[in-house]
Amino acid sequence: MIDTDLKLEIKLPKVPDIELVAIQGLEKMGGYFGISEDKIGEARVLVTEAIINGLEHSGGEEPYVNVEFTMTKDKLIILVTDYGKGFDPNSVPAPEIENKLGSKNKRGWGLKLMKSMSDDLVIESKPTGTKISIIKNLS
Amino acid sequence: MSSDFNIISETHDKILVLRTDGYINNVAGEKILDEFSKSFTEDMNKVIMDLEKSKVVNSIGISYLIDIIEKLNERNGKLVFTNLDPTIDKTFNIMGIFQFAQKAESVEAALK
Repeated sequence: MIDTDLKLEIKLPKVPDIELVAIQGLEKMGGYFGISEDKIGEARVLVTEAIINGLEHSGGEEPYVNVEFTMTKDKLIILVTDYGKGFDPNSVPAPEIENKLGSKNKRGWGLKLMKSMSDDLVIESKPTGTKISIIKNLS
Repeated sequence: MSSDFNIISETHDKILVLRTDGYINNVAGEKILDEFSKSFTEDMNKVIMDLEKSKVVNSIGISYLIDIIEKLNERNGKLVFTNLDPTIDKTFNIMGIFQFAQKAESVEAALK
């Protein structure tokens, strides 16, 4: 096993289930470092939700997201960038199950899951795109 | 990991058991909801959803499961999840799903 970090950079098109490609890379990297299944499982949620969010906001002209992982045996940094119209993360209401039951819109859980499962989450959004940066401690 | 998804339904007395296999995304969520709507009859009061072969779910897929909880609430029915992967268990906890659904270790335990 190497002591330095491993990096993975991929550009994902907006096609169904493309997030599974990134997850496969994540699992391979995690296996290489011997990361626990619990930690990889939580990282899987972070990657899935960040990519779904990015592709949803990616817009028609540039229907791609860039995904970057940097992993050591102790830490994973996830960067997901889209080139859509951007959004105000502060305007997204925190979902509550009581309110979702009986409501037509039962979606909108991605940010809550990313906040809850990460050790740090930063969202930078502007009219030309959004970058989600996530840190997940692995040890 | 394959994105193929399958669902099998069976009935035990007045209980509907749904066994999923594969990634639960928007398409799979819709299939689960369709299977529930088709198979959950008037005389039933409980659904067991076995996720032993589903290790990855996304939030859009889960939104369809919330739809099923809502429909069951309207009929005084209940939903029990079984064989949950620890990450899915944690995901459901964060979302508050277990305020309105139960979990059991296995289908056999949930049938008791």
